[in-house]
Amino acid sequence: MNGRPRKWFRFRIATMLALFLVLFCALVFRAFHLQIMTGKTYKTLAEKQHRKTLQLYPERGIIYDRNGEKLAASILADSVFADPSKIDNADEAAAQLAAVTGQPRKAIAQQISRSKNFCWVARMITPAQSEQIRNLKMEGIYLIQEPKRFYPNRELAGQIIGFVGMDSNGLEGLEMRYDGYLRGEPEKILWGRDARGKKLYMPERSATGKKDEQLSLVLTLDSRIQHAVESNLKEAVLRTRARGGFIIVMDPRTGEILAMANNPVFNPNAYASAAADNKRNKAITDCFDPGSTFKPFLVAAAIEEGVVKESDRFYCENGAYRVANATFHEANRKRHGVLTVREILKYSSNIGSVKISEKLGREKFHGYIRNFGFGQKTNIELPGEIAGLLRPWQNWTQVDTSTVAFGQGVSVTAIQLVSALSAIANGGLLMQPHIVKKFVDSSGETVREFAPTPVRRVISAETARRMTAMLTNVVGEQGGTGKNAALVNVDVAGKTGTAQKFDFAHKRFSSERVRTSFMGFFPSENPRFVMLVSIDEPQLHKWGGEAAAPVFRSISQQLIRCFEHDIGETPPVREKEINAGARIQLVSTPAAIPATGAAEEEEAAMPDFRGMTVRQALKAAQDRGLTMNVTGSGWAVSQRPAAGSPLKGHRSCTVSFSTGD
Amino acid sequence: MKIDRRLIYNFDWTLVGFIALIVGMGVLNLYSAGYGISGEPYVKQIRWVVLGIGVMALAFAVDYRWVARYAYAAHALAIVLLIAVFVAGSVTKGSQRWINVGGFTMQPSELVKITLILALSKYFNDHRVEGKYGIRELVTPFLVVLVPFALVLKQPDLGTALMLMILFGSMVLFIGIRWRALLGLAVTALLVIPLGWNFMAEYQRERVLTFVYPERDPLGSGYHIIQSIIAVGSGGILGKGFLKGTQSQLKFLPEQQTDFVFSVFAEEWGFLGALFVLVLFLALILWSLKIAQHSRDYLGTLIAFGATMLIFWGVFINVAMVLGILPVVGIPLPFFSYGGSSMVKMMAAMGLLMNVSMRRYVLQS
Repeated sequence: MNGRPRKWFRFRIATMLALFLVLFCALVFRAFHLQIMTGKTYKTLAEKQHRKTLQLYPERGIIYDRNGEKLAASILADSVFADPSKIDNADEAAAQLAAVTGQPRKAIAQQISRSKNFCWVARMITPAQSEQIRNLKMEGIYLIQEPKRFYPNRELAGQIIGFVGMDSNGLEGLEMRYDGYLRGEPEKILWGRDARGKKLYMPERSATGKKDEQLSLVLTLDSRIQHAVESNLKEAVLRTRARGGFIIVMDPRTGEILAMANNPVFNPNAYASAAADNKRNKAITDCFDPGSTFKPFLVAAAIEEGVVKESDRFYCENGAYRVANATFHEANRKRHGVLTVREILKYSSNIGSVKISEKLGREKFHGYIRNFGFGQKTNIELPGEIAGLLRPWQNWTQVDTSTVAFGQGVSVTAIQLVSALSAIANGGLLMQPHIVKKFVDSSGETVREFAPTPVRRVISAETARRMTAMLTNVVGEQGGTGKNAALVNVDVAGKTGTAQKFDFAHKRFSSERVRTSFMGFFPSENPRFVMLVSIDEPQLHKWGGEAAAPVFRSISQQLIRCFEHDIGETPPVREKEINAGARIQLVSTPAAIPATGAAEEEEAAMPDFRGMTVRQALKAAQDRGLTMNVTGSGWAVSQRPAAGSPLKGHRSCTVSFSTGD
Repeated sequence: MKIDRRLIYNFDWTLVGFIALIVGMGVLNLYSAGYGISGEPYVKQIRWVVLGIGVMALAFAVDYRWVARYAYAAHALAIVLLIAVFVAGSVTKGSQRWINVGGFTMQPSELVKITLILALSKYFNDHRVEGKYGIRELVTPFLVVLVPFALVLKQPDLGTALMLMILFGSMVLFIGIRWRALLGLAVTALLVIPLGWNFMAEYQRERVLTFVYPERDPLGSGYHIIQSIIAVGSGGILGKGFLKGTQSQLKFLPEQQTDFVFSVFAEEWGFLGALFVLVLFLALILWSLKIAQHSRDYLGTLIAFGATMLIFWGVFINVAMVLGILPVVGIPLPFFSYGGSSMVKMMAAMGLLMNVSMRRYVLQS
């Protein structure tokens, strides 16, 4: 080759060289882009594929009541799982497992044959069962310990505590609300896994992330009070043949919930079999028309605004008062003439309340209702709270304003009602209701404490004092509607209420289906307890004073017995007391409440005949060797000596019966 | 036959050094790629390397001009074997590529690459033209490639078939083609592509579509590309270390001993390792180009150039496929991918290069 061809040949070689270099540069650039520019992204993608993270949760935190009683705890229970790849005969294995666990054989066989490397056979079995499984020594069947949630007090405060699911995740109540704290940070363990999903040991296996400790909750609940409340509620629901009911006990000075009970009860240990309706904490998730229990807030507003005084007189129209196109009557068709404001509360006059509301004006009335906390969530630390229903005052007709005056046409929750009454009891300050006192770590050290939080001042201390005096009359004075809640030697302030339920089928308020309530606080001069008792659709004793008030009294008596003998704290000195010796003083740190098994007490004390028919009462008296004087007919309404007084010395009693009104 | 002393004096140790280095890395990488697999593929691969060294020795022992005399016969034999595949071949993964010859299973499609290079070199050496080639002069050589192309495409093995065409095209460009002829061929090719789509097997269409949209079917045909890119990308700068590639060792990477063997390397040795291998290949290719340039005669230039093209396109197409810039076509990486036929073919090509290189100063006898 020579001359021109030689030159041409070199050119071709050079062209090829250039082509090679360009294409190789393209490859290198691509590799650079993949591995260096976006390498991190692919690294995480790769890790996602071959790394599996096992999350091991620490043992779930405990829920204590205010005295350190365990309401929810964890115990370790055995669970059975299978590695189907190591089981030769699935049917035989399933038969053996079915015999121990009591699950259907077919289901187990299906489970084993379906999955590859892991499947649960039975979760959280009893120690006896796990012993049996251990003895079977089956290939491919393993036991693992899992923390199982356990509620030692069963139904006690069940709806408040809630429950956890199979994997220790809170599903309801406080268990759900504070799941993150109770559960703690999981310990993460990395495992390698190959393309077929087989777990294998990797040198990089390590614990990552700091393990954040799980916390325990200390509640404001007092399990002794809770117990007393629940057993009384249960008894009352049975006695009045009601659909259910709820009771809240609150410390008005701090807003702490001391007890919150719902009936029917719910046992979180057996959450799977419980009716969904019973799991709800109806004291905060349901609203109702408060009825007459709403009247004190109207009067408090009127007094605070200075539009009425206790002694102001109102003509109560002899039981029929026409406003716009509606005519209002008194409960039970009573007829009142002229009543003072004090008497309007005492006799729970609807027409009197309507007249006070007319004097106050709907805008101001509405403002006070809102300030007392109605129509908005209280923000108590429980899931599922609702705001109730309070329409804007601009939408109120004249009739609406009148019905709201006696608590119909406005919907409230029990917790709102108790909080509002606490504001009257503690001198006018609306407190934030709360149920979680503090978080503690596993060594018991307080991590975070929740101090009582005032929301706002609703009424002046003076108005609160005057209201307390009037409400004390309702219970204490002869003829007051709340007389059934009266206690010996302790002044009680309170108000009854019976609200007709709205009958959605007939679009009117039903006179058959009612919610009867009593709310009150004691001792009047320095209130320590605010309590709302509400009975849903009682078949007997429909009117508040008769169904709910005795429950209030019974619980109060137990509370007093518990708190009066406590000398752990010097009771505050009250100079103005007239008969100091006879007065019962309550101290704030409660000691042991007497075991409140109602049955035990009945043995040694005068039975409570109220609510019984003549026949039932006679039988109850006979059982205890008592002779009984019967007056009237129908259901027992009062008795002498009072229920609960020692049987010694009383071999006879007098019981009055009545058919109602 | 007297052995010329100059043959020993001119023995191309640089070429041998490059080959030894690349083959050594290939076997080492295969040890990792097949780690924990029964049968230990790298052991078999060493056997193929030994066989390949024998073939290479054969390929440079006799003068390439003598070899070229039998080029057409060899090519015809390879075509016969390609036809035999349809009669006596075994089916693997949906295509008929292997044939049993004297106890060995081999891929005639690999053999035909070598014979094609030889046949084309002989043809272009024998039929030189003044200036550049036109369409008319290219008809016969085109038939030389078209027959094996059609047979391989029928197997079906799109990658190898395209490789044959690319070799042909490269050589034609190298010898010089008239601009008008080139333009005509390019237009024809563009017209043929849509036609070819209709003749493609379903899996081939699938692969082209998957190349365009790899996320179209992440668990099916897109899986290869996605997993390969993840493996390579997660290697980073320095890689995860020998035997520590998670994607390869945990078998997320498909075909990791054959077509995607470079992913394993790039994952375990990182960008620097991949760069090193690419530079090594480039050095080998440039050295081969130098051999072609300094050949004693035009035949030697053509043979050496053909062998160079065989390495270059093998490396480029495979690595581009592994890195996701070309569709998955099933071209093995020279010296790295597991497989006897590929290894022996590459060693034979290296033998031809050596043949040309060591005889560059030998005068015509």
